[in-house]
Amino acid sequence: MNAKMTWLDDPEVFGVNKLAAHSDHLFYPSKEEMLKKESSLMQSLNGVWQFAYANNAKERPIDFYKPEYDASGFGSIEVPSHIELNHHDKIHYINTMYPWEGHIYRRPVKEDTPEGIGLFSEASYNPVGAYRTTFDLAPGLRNKPITICFEGVEQAMYVWLNGAFIGYGEDSFTPSEFDLTPFIKEQGNVLCVEVHKRSCAAFLEDQDFFRFFGIFRNVTLYAKPELHVEDFYVKPELAEDQRSGSFGVEMKLSGKVVKGTVKIYLRDQKGKELLAAQMPASEKVIFAPVTLEDITPWSHETPYLYEFLIEVYNEANVLVELVPYLVGFRRIEIKNNMMLLNGKRLRLLGVNRHEWSAKTGRVITKEEMVWDIGCMLRNGINAVRTSHYPNQIPWYTLCDEAGLYVMAEVNMETHGSWQKMGAVEPSWNLPGSDKKWLAAVLDRAKTNFEVFKNHPSILFWSLGNESYAEENIAAMHDYYKAVDCSRLVHYEGVHHNRAYEDRISDVESRMYARPAEIIAYLENQPKKPFILCEYMHDMGNSLGGMKDYMELFDRFEMYQGGFIWDFIDQGLMVNDEVTGAQVIRYGGDFDDRPSDYEFSGNGIVFATREEKPAMQEVKYYYERYK
Amino acid sequence: MNAINNQTLQLIFGDVTLGVSGEDFHYIFSYQTGGLESLSVAGKEWLYRTPKPTFWRATTDNDRGNGFSYKSGMWLGADLFIKCSNVVVAVDGKKVEKPIAPTNNKYTGKEHAESVSLCFTYITNTVPAAEVEVTYTVQVDGTIEVKVHYYGKEGLPSLPVFGMRFIMPTKAVGYTYEGLSGETYPDRMAGGVPGTYHIEGLPVTPYMVPQDCNVHMATKKLTVTRATTLNNADTDKTTFSLQFEALGEPFTFSCIPYTAEELENATHHEELPLPRRTVVSILGKVRGVGGIDSWGADVMPQYQIDATQDISYAFSIKRVLI
Repeated sequence: MNAKMTWLDDPEVFGVNKLAAHSDHLFYPSKEEMLKKESSLMQSLNGVWQFAYANNAKERPIDFYKPEYDASGFGSIEVPSHIELNHHDKIHYINTMYPWEGHIYRRPVKEDTPEGIGLFSEASYNPVGAYRTTFDLAPGLRNKPITICFEGVEQAMYVWLNGAFIGYGEDSFTPSEFDLTPFIKEQGNVLCVEVHKRSCAAFLEDQDFFRFFGIFRNVTLYAKPELHVEDFYVKPELAEDQRSGSFGVEMKLSGKVVKGTVKIYLRDQKGKELLAAQMPASEKVIFAPVTLEDITPWSHETPYLYEFLIEVYNEANVLVELVPYLVGFRRIEIKNNMMLLNGKRLRLLGVNRHEWSAKTGRVITKEEMVWDIGCMLRNGINAVRTSHYPNQIPWYTLCDEAGLYVMAEVNMETHGSWQKMGAVEPSWNLPGSDKKWLAAVLDRAKTNFEVFKNHPSILFWSLGNESYAEENIAAMHDYYKAVDCSRLVHYEGVHHNRAYEDRISDVESRMYARPAEIIAYLENQPKKPFILCEYMHDMGNSLGGMKDYMELFDRFEMYQGGFIWDFIDQGLMVNDEVTGAQVIRYGGDFDDRPSDYEFSGNGIVFATREEKPAMQEVKYYYERYK
Repeated sequence: MNAINNQTLQLIFGDVTLGVSGEDFHYIFSYQTGGLESLSVAGKEWLYRTPKPTFWRATTDNDRGNGFSYKSGMWLGADLFIKCSNVVVAVDGKKVEKPIAPTNNKYTGKEHAESVSLCFTYITNTVPAAEVEVTYTVQVDGTIEVKVHYYGKEGLPSLPVFGMRFIMPTKAVGYTYEGLSGETYPDRMAGGVPGTYHIEGLPVTPYMVPQDCNVHMATKKLTVTRATTLNNADTDKTTFSLQFEALGEPFTFSCIPYTAEELENATHHEELPLPRRTVVSILGKVRGVGGIDSWGADVMPQYQIDATQDISYAFSIKRVLI
């Protein structure tokens, strides 16, 4: 198959040869490696790659993917990083306007307006990054099926290995995985990735942030043992008595010959075995739910996790793969119009969080994630919304361990398509009810679910941010309801199109509603429990008047809290052009126009990860309302 | 200094100023600059320019978003440009004829008193104009009581802030206050823990766009400590301090190296001047910061400052004995 540039323009092509999304588990070939948490079946390809930049697809080095290509003219780039922060292409911050506002007139391809070929592929400005690296397979990966996982590439990418086209992917914030097996060699592999700044996916990724592109998360090779757990879905259920429950699991296995045995174990933190079971290996293995007693429920106060282990044995009864995972039992439900967690009224004392580092943008380290978690915990925060895209994979495990309630949001925001200068004007809104966009948004919902479905911390699937509400979002809602009965579905945008309020979202969610508006809702036969997916806009020196929101907890049982906007200022640390000192810059500071300037800085911590003075107010109220 | 019970203030009835001195302090009130021009304790000067009422705070992002600075912008002019329209002097509680020439020809330089007070009247350039009276009363031990009164005026827009601003000649090494922890505002002070806090240096909260900051509500006492002066003959680097103490209700203050206008002008911290002074604002009223959103929602009404109502508060300035 040959790569086609027109995929950039076509909303119905959002992935080519992408492997099915699956649970985010790690796997080990031996117990020793599992205990050391170092799998010889993994090989990171992070590091310095060869790199060339072009202003548009026409000017890109078309043949660079061929192994014989002379790349001596290429520069270099760190993977992962944003291309703009490597001084190629202008840094640009903009909020709701699409990033091409004032530069290029664009309307999306739709059923009734199928024109649009060339919208991105032939644009005079749509930068391309050509990435090239060579690698040898590490010993543990040789002679095995090999996949490559790109955890985050913004915004569209084409992949080649040793001259062969491998695949195409969009959806910047979810893993894109491809099978390399037919083309991989032990040594001298040439991997080439062509990243395009914008594709029609840009219409779905209009988040309020710096608009970057490039390979900005890990790139990793995985080798599969002869039998491999491709995916599993644990079903830890807590009964109404909050003590008993059940545990079942469904899994998918792969291998040349899927024969052997799968054993599962569930142990508590003291190592006591609650469950041990085995089944013959097959492509689909279902361990029916087993009743359990004396379960310690998972919650913010007690984030109790159980150790789940899958062992896969081949036909000769040799252990070929181990998959450890932490699972938790908790029960989220709506009763009498109130959200209950483990039988008790849920209070969301939350914050929205963008992934951010002042020096590296959305390329953040585990240490920064750990700092964020610690900061949240010491300030009484118990919930986080992954605004507005799936976060790096380790974040969810950190939340499981910390007892942070997660609202797991799909990578979708189409703000500029329906709201202009503050006014709701949805004449060409996306994803709308347009069939050409349905599959793309369902795929985004599905990937979010499939990757993170085993995390107890996720209480809500959120259908995206500020994307209006029509049939396609209703379909996303229906998808989540069909695959997962252990979580609630959240979406705020239905507020702007009440025709869908009975079909979308388990909760009445608003952003920045004034206390009086919330009271008006709650005093007039409210249909759903109320939350604020965004409130207390902490831009600059702000966060005044929190009391008026917190007191709603006392007045209305159906008021169930909210998420402060937001966690960290999106400011970039650069060297001052006059003094050379390290300074913080924001939108508009890079000659980027149009911009929304300092609107990027609304954190309760500064871009440098120091707490803002307002934090003591957050802590005061959140600790009192736990 | 050893307190001497029967000590009195010496008054120097100059042609342009009224000097008031005691054992280790010397104050000069100026009819020309319209206020307290010099506050010298143990030979160390505390004033860079004559303190004036202050009406402006550097626009916060929330102020900008809801158009507050547009609506209340005339207070920026009032903050920058104010006129002193009248001075009334009283000695030992008795009003005296304004002691400028030729009236002051009758004095000898040997006048003493138990107390002296000067009431300065200020008129703003707002439309309509508002009046402020600031009364300084110097007591024998050198304590200056400052009473500040703003006369509310119909037709004036909501105030960003109201109080007195003292600009000191050099940058302080730090300050200590008895009040609430952290940076607090009327609508964001529940989390402030009462106590005594020492702040090293003169930090300016690094909001991306410089804006009003470092405000401390409900303060009983503030002590500012410096180590340097602008006096070329003074090479002593020993620290020295001045104290502001609430009289009656606690006050609000900020202590940073910049005026509201300097902050207002900068879009980034690196554009701010090198910190070289100490700007102490002792405030009677402060507007809340708001927080519902940053594009229209105003600060809740109870945290706004109604300019049609009077504002009155008082504090004392005391030298700190080492």
